[in-house]
Amino acid sequence: MEMASQSRQPGSGIKKYLLSSTGVLLLAAVLFWWRSQGTSQTILFEPPVRVAQSEPLCPWRQPNEDMKRFFSGSTRYQTETRILSGLRAPLAAQLGREPTGDENALLLYRVYAQQTPIGVVLTRRVKGAYGAIELVLAVAPDGHVLGLRLQRQREPENIAAALERPEWLASFVGKRVKDGWQLGEDVGGVSGEARSSAEAIVEGTRSLLVLLSVAEGAPVSNAGHH
Amino acid sequence: MLNWFSLAWGNLVRRPVRSGLAVSGLAASIAVLVCLWSFGNGYRRALNTELDRMGLQMMLVPLGCPYDAAARVLKGQNLDNSLPASVLEAARNDPAVAVAAPLLLAAVPRPRDGRTDMWVGLDETALDLKPWWKTTSGARWFASEDSVILGCDAAETEMRSAGDRFYSPETGQKLQVSGVLERSGTSDDSLFFVPLSTAQRMFHETNRLTAVAIRLRDPTLVRGASERLQKIPGAQVVTMTEMMGTFLNLVGAVRTLSTSVAAVALLVSVLSVFNTLLATVIERTGELMVMRAIGASRAQVFGLITLEALLLTLAGTGCGLVGALLLGPGLEGVVKRFVPMAPVERLLVPSLQIFSATLVMGVAVGVLSALYPAWRASRLHPAAALKGD
Repeated sequence: MEMASQSRQPGSGIKKYLLSSTGVLLLAAVLFWWRSQGTSQTILFEPPVRVAQSEPLCPWRQPNEDMKRFFSGSTRYQTETRILSGLRAPLAAQLGREPTGDENALLLYRVYAQQTPIGVVLTRRVKGAYGAIELVLAVAPDGHVLGLRLQRQREPENIAAALERPEWLASFVGKRVKDGWQLGEDVGGVSGEARSSAEAIVEGTRSLLVLLSVAEGAPVSNAGHH
Repeated sequence: MLNWFSLAWGNLVRRPVRSGLAVSGLAASIAVLVCLWSFGNGYRRALNTELDRMGLQMMLVPLGCPYDAAARVLKGQNLDNSLPASVLEAARNDPAVAVAAPLLLAAVPRPRDGRTDMWVGLDETALDLKPWWKTTSGARWFASEDSVILGCDAAETEMRSAGDRFYSPETGQKLQVSGVLERSGTSDDSLFFVPLSTAQRMFHETNRLTAVAIRLRDPTLVRGASERLQKIPGAQVVTMTEMMGTFLNLVGAVRTLSTSVAAVALLVSVLSVFNTLLATVIERTGELMVMRAIGASRAQVFGLITLEALLLTLAGTGCGLVGALLLGPGLEGVVKRFVPMAPVERLLVPSLQIFSATLVMGVAVGVLSALYPAWRASRLHPAAALKGD
């Protein structure tokens, strides 16, 4: 045993070092294991197909056709995102309600003829009676409406026909944000069953003009050419 | 006992480089082995969980490529042909079948919207297969024949919630939203669910089905049930285990190959420990003979060498386990890229079972590699020491 104590002497420093390192490593391993046990995810698999995600922002589905329709001489457009989260008070005052989460930013498509901006296109999804209705709104540089198109809707035929009637859509042309927006008075009227969808379209259009008027003074967060 | 332990430890650290190399070799092979076991078990477990989540063991699909048909149904895609409704009755009459849920799938392309509406017709047996179905609003089943349940993404896109009206322009069907499903992370999220009879009416598929999803009373009855159901005219059977088995076989083959590599690495480690111990015994022959001369028994010398081997292999095993835990997540990321249907969850989940098995293996390696050196050390004669040899 004396020999044992003699043989321990030269290696005692290494022994302490190895013991303490092993202890630290084991402790780290236990902590790592415990952490991994607590954070296991509940969704086990990637879906078998890439699930079609919903579109939180309404896309502009036919930019070329719409530019031709609303802006003669247009050559290109440029996207701009305006941050409105710091302008909630003026927005609320003009909208007559609290802005929604989606209204903290506005994606606008600025249309150009060569280098000259000739207007803006805005899109929005509104709640129709039987499904979502997507609006495409063309606005002149001075803020008046150049045209409105329903790029997507799933209303029954009679309602769809009333909403897509050229005379009714034309009743929006020339309107400004400060104008009256009463359905059937300031804007053309529609039949009874189409009324709720028509009201959603009127409210959506007016909201877009309010957002645009506030956004024109707001900072641009990014821009992209098309 | 403590003295024997200290003596064994002292002997090992006397040659730190040699001992360190033996420990490192063993640690590397143990780490690889643990990672392989954990990956294999994790993958198998995740696939089984997915099978349980699907809640079905087999599917009846129209004649054609069965795997393509089953994969399309699971993905919520349309099939080119359909089954007669009589197939459902035949399936329900089978003694092994607990639940037979009919499905009618219809894809309605909407090119103007840049999307395709996916409609799924179900009857209430579907709830037995989808017990996880929960709604964020409304009920989890249809209030009437003219109601619809929407996946969460579909509801978000169409701005619908429970109680709203909904319309299918292509079929002219007016519906009322009964409920909106909670997000499940599957294709259910983007689907429109309607009662089976409504779907058959909407898509002019009276008495026709796209598939029948089947859950058995006992999963072990799958072979017999499959043989019987295969005889139903116009239908063919695809078992989920066959589909998952294809993936598992692929992973199993890779696992066998890599386990063989790990086994060879482990064998090399055993030889390395063996070599270390034998060198130690030869180097310390004089010292061991003196021990025998001052009263140490053969068993004590044998035990000392075995203890040294055990310390060496336990250190190697411990370092290997720690290495597997620390390096495993990085390796997992690489492995997942090459694995079909890779689960989202972590595959390398350490289990007590794997840790215990590895520890037992470490001890076995230690004992095995110590046998000859320990026997040789115990055979040294004390008289040789007294003679000054």
